[in-house]
Amino acid sequence: MLVATVVVSVPLTRTMGRRACWVIAALYLAAAAALWPVAADVLDGRAPTWSVQWAPTLGVELALRADGLSIVFAALALLVGALVFAYSAVYLAPGRHITFALVMAVFTTCMVGLVLADDLILLFICWELTSVTSFLLIARSGRAGEFASMRTLLVTFVGGLALLVAIALIIARVGTTSVSEALTSPVWHTEAGTTTAVATLVAIAGFSKAAQFPLHVWLPDAMAAPTPVSAYLHAAAVVKVGIFLLLRFSPAFNETFAWHLMLLSAGFVTAVIGARFALGQTDLKGLMAYSTVSQLGLIVATIGVGTPLAMNAAIIHTIAHAMFKSGLFMVVGIVDHATGTRDIRRLPPLWRTLPGTFAVTLLGVASMAGLPPMLGFISKESMFTAFLQAPGPAWVGPVALSLAAFVSVMTFLYCAKIVLGGFVDGSDDRPAKRAERPLLVITGIPLVLSVPLGIFVWVLDVPVIRAADAALRGRPDDPGLSVWHGVTTELIVTAGVVATGAFLTVHRRRLWRPLERPLLPFGGPDVIAALRAGLRRLGLGIVGLTRADNPTRHLGVIVAAFVAASAAGTWAVLANGPLPHYRPGRDTLIDVVLLVTITAAVVAVCRSRTRLAATVSLSAVGVLMTAQLFSLGAPDVGQTQLLVEMLAVIVIMLVLQRLPIAFWNQAPVRKVRVGTPLLAIAAGVAATVVTLVLTGRRARSQVGLELFAQSEPVTGGTNVVNVILVEFRALDTFGEVAVLGMTGIALIAVLSTVRSDRLDPPRMHEEPPKPDLPAEGAPAHRAITVAWPNAVRLQILMRILTPVLALLSLLVFVRGHNEPGGGFVAALVASTIVGLAYLSTSRDRQIGPPALPLWLIGGGILFANAVGIAGLIGAGTFLGPMHVSLLGVSVASSLLFDVGIFAAVLGLILIAFNILGTSEDVFLDPEGEETRERIDDMVDEHHSTGRVGPTSRHIASGTTPRGPRR
Amino acid sequence: MTVAILVGVLVAGGVYLMMQRSLVRIVFGVSLLSHAANLLLLSAGVLAWRQEPLSDRTDLASTADPLPQAFVLTAIVITFAITILVLGFAVIGHNDDTHHAPETGEDHDA
Repeated sequence: MLVATVVVSVPLTRTMGRRACWVIAALYLAAAAALWPVAADVLDGRAPTWSVQWAPTLGVELALRADGLSIVFAALALLVGALVFAYSAVYLAPGRHITFALVMAVFTTCMVGLVLADDLILLFICWELTSVTSFLLIARSGRAGEFASMRTLLVTFVGGLALLVAIALIIARVGTTSVSEALTSPVWHTEAGTTTAVATLVAIAGFSKAAQFPLHVWLPDAMAAPTPVSAYLHAAAVVKVGIFLLLRFSPAFNETFAWHLMLLSAGFVTAVIGARFALGQTDLKGLMAYSTVSQLGLIVATIGVGTPLAMNAAIIHTIAHAMFKSGLFMVVGIVDHATGTRDIRRLPPLWRTLPGTFAVTLLGVASMAGLPPMLGFISKESMFTAFLQAPGPAWVGPVALSLAAFVSVMTFLYCAKIVLGGFVDGSDDRPAKRAERPLLVITGIPLVLSVPLGIFVWVLDVPVIRAADAALRGRPDDPGLSVWHGVTTELIVTAGVVATGAFLTVHRRRLWRPLERPLLPFGGPDVIAALRAGLRRLGLGIVGLTRADNPTRHLGVIVAAFVAASAAGTWAVLANGPLPHYRPGRDTLIDVVLLVTITAAVVAVCRSRTRLAATVSLSAVGVLMTAQLFSLGAPDVGQTQLLVEMLAVIVIMLVLQRLPIAFWNQAPVRKVRVGTPLLAIAAGVAATVVTLVLTGRRARSQVGLELFAQSEPVTGGTNVVNVILVEFRALDTFGEVAVLGMTGIALIAVLSTVRSDRLDPPRMHEEPPKPDLPAEGAPAHRAITVAWPNAVRLQILMRILTPVLALLSLLVFVRGHNEPGGGFVAALVASTIVGLAYLSTSRDRQIGPPALPLWLIGGGILFANAVGIAGLIGAGTFLGPMHVSLLGVSVASSLLFDVGIFAAVLGLILIAFNILGTSEDVFLDPEGEETRERIDDMVDEHHSTGRVGPTSRHIASGTTPRGPRR
Repeated sequence: MTVAILVGVLVAGGVYLMMQRSLVRIVFGVSLLSHAANLLLLSAGVLAWRQEPLSDRTDLASTADPLPQAFVLTAIVITFAITILVLGFAVIGHNDDTHHAPETGEDHDA
């Protein structure tokens, strides 16, 4: 269901703009409904499971298991997610928000997967994916989000690493990847050392996501993200993932002292620090962020207490916090929309213009401050109870309670600051727009719900018990949730908190100003930046020992190592006894001829001074190699080699026209350099010896014979090489096509980031040769100065050749299964049409629409993938062969797979021609296109209609496209 | 025997070119080296049998090993892709000299 959401989110937002968010919200609700039967099972005390083998040899399963904890957190993720999406539908600027919807949907999917996971590996993968997606959500908010998102990524990855080590330790020690089995293992009771180590690592991981001191710095930073993201990530999702992890692992570490100590101390320190920073904020959103930090600290400390009561309290406060904080974040969004600022000092008295918003804010803040009858009151009461009854020495309970009470006073104060500062005290007369009604309604839902949930809190009894049960394994305790417990210690404490808070609030004018002074001369971001800079310097120092900008230094070592390894290997083989009999009949006359001619061509490549000569010699090597391949009985390989050689020559020529004619001249006084030739000869001798010693000395390969014998009975194809490529080893071919396609995309990606003046050098390095022109009007003059007469013959030829080549390509394609040919060769034949088209034009122009190559590559790979999935469904394995009868002709699925290969290869070659095919002529010809324009056209379909102004990429990279050409 | 020598010649030429300064020469070197690697792969299938592996025309006794051929076919196409990629990089800037880092106009030590 959620996966479907991810899939549909892209086309939806493309077509519907921001309104697509409504649909996604509905899908979330549907997903929650789909989860309901499972939830009902859990509430009855069962734990439904579901699993699929994933990597059976490693014992890894895609296992899901629902228990109370999973249900509570999954419900939070889905319901708050639905709210946030509904809010986004109104809040976001009209238009497409593809990445927003997509990444949010991926995030939710991962989070639900994480809370339901019953496999440690799956849990870890989902954990990391939530890190990555939350990074992306912050990063997509522009300049301000750039560094903030990097810091978020760094901090959460520290946690991810800790979790990875912890999971590795658990798997090594317990010997299973199942979460439920690992947690109930007796290891935790017998081995204190391991348990403490794992507990510490898990705690670090949990702290990193739940924003506990000192890993809390990313959270206020992440406020650069748009409000819906903040409402989701920082109320219901990322931070709750951290809480979930701590709760999930609690059963294992319940007897570990260090676990309780860490959670309690980190929790309280965070709660106090967070509240203190919250009081110092003037930005409403920053205030919310720090208050989240503080509230999370309280929850973590409560988990640290570890009693059944405490688990109840932690879970119910998690629920309460998700509700009031998501609502309050959305309030900030409304205020931001209405006034254009979130700074308390610049806000007008908003309660007059935004009465509805003011009312729901009051409710939310009352819940956060813990006033009856809100849900927040119940949760805070139960936390107080948990602290008071904390196990351990007698002083622990009262100390914990008073700390919690102290935090609560501060909570009350910053709540007051939200209400009074945000809505009442303002003196600015900045105009405020009215709140959009749908926004207000959506915002109101979680806030208003806190009231009935507070009063009828017993409906939460069962879920909370089940969740606490899961967090503690088999020690359920009825939380007995209700608003009124009689006059207890907790109630008195609450009353005291409220009284103190109210007293201080009255005197707030004297209180705010000193609190708003910066507390420390540096902030968390600075610390991270300093750490990062230090690590970077260290890394550069280490790299400096080995780096070389000149590749030969590394290559020399590698080649020398190859020679040494060959020598050692040969020696080892020879020392092992006499070599097996050498198979006769290997050398024929043609081989000797080819050996001589290829050697001559290789020498020519090495010795040529100009690039052109080297290219000619290289292609001679290629063509002779083709002959060698045919003589070795490899017609498919030979065909491919020949066509690749032709296309490569065209591409090389396109490149060469932009480079100097001669190779870089060796030093004027020629030094005698023997090192390189010696090394080359040594490598060559080593290669020959190894080939002689290690090949050609055995009987026929059984695998090869088996493939040969089986190809026709199994697949109906008689060209065994092609059958291997598209049937037996189709997955390899699929990977290869992907590499091929990615090469084209990488080329575009790299070149599109290079500055324009480097991509299209402004002048020629060498003046073009100026021949002595004959008199004007003479044929020779025209042949040199006017381009089109030279191209006419080729153009006429092309008219004839194109259909022939197209037919040939089709023929080669179709017969590939039984005769030499196939998708590769067919695509290469088709590419020669492109090459011919390119050569026959009288001036540079692109072949085909600009975005075509990318569509071909992407479409080809996706199509091949679709064929593979069809095979998975129809034949039981990915890319499994199927035979479909189409119009009476039997069509193998492998033929369709070949279509994908065909498209991807053609796409790559189009890219090569179009990008590399710009020449220096563009500076002479006002109609010519630069490489820059072509690349931009390819990447950005909107600009395909000709010249455009500066693109966003130019602005982002700080470069400007060159203006009208001279 | 001849194929083994051919492999040696191609490797020697490839290594020599790869140690040069020009990126274009390096690409040519890689190209020669890949020819050598392809031949080596094919000769792993024992070159004493040289009939085309087409099961309706060639009989089992004389066919060449089809599996190395499939590998080599894949390798040729991948080499082609790599060649295009590196050639594309060769044209950034004014020259393809590898003794200096190509100037992309960006400051990497900021």
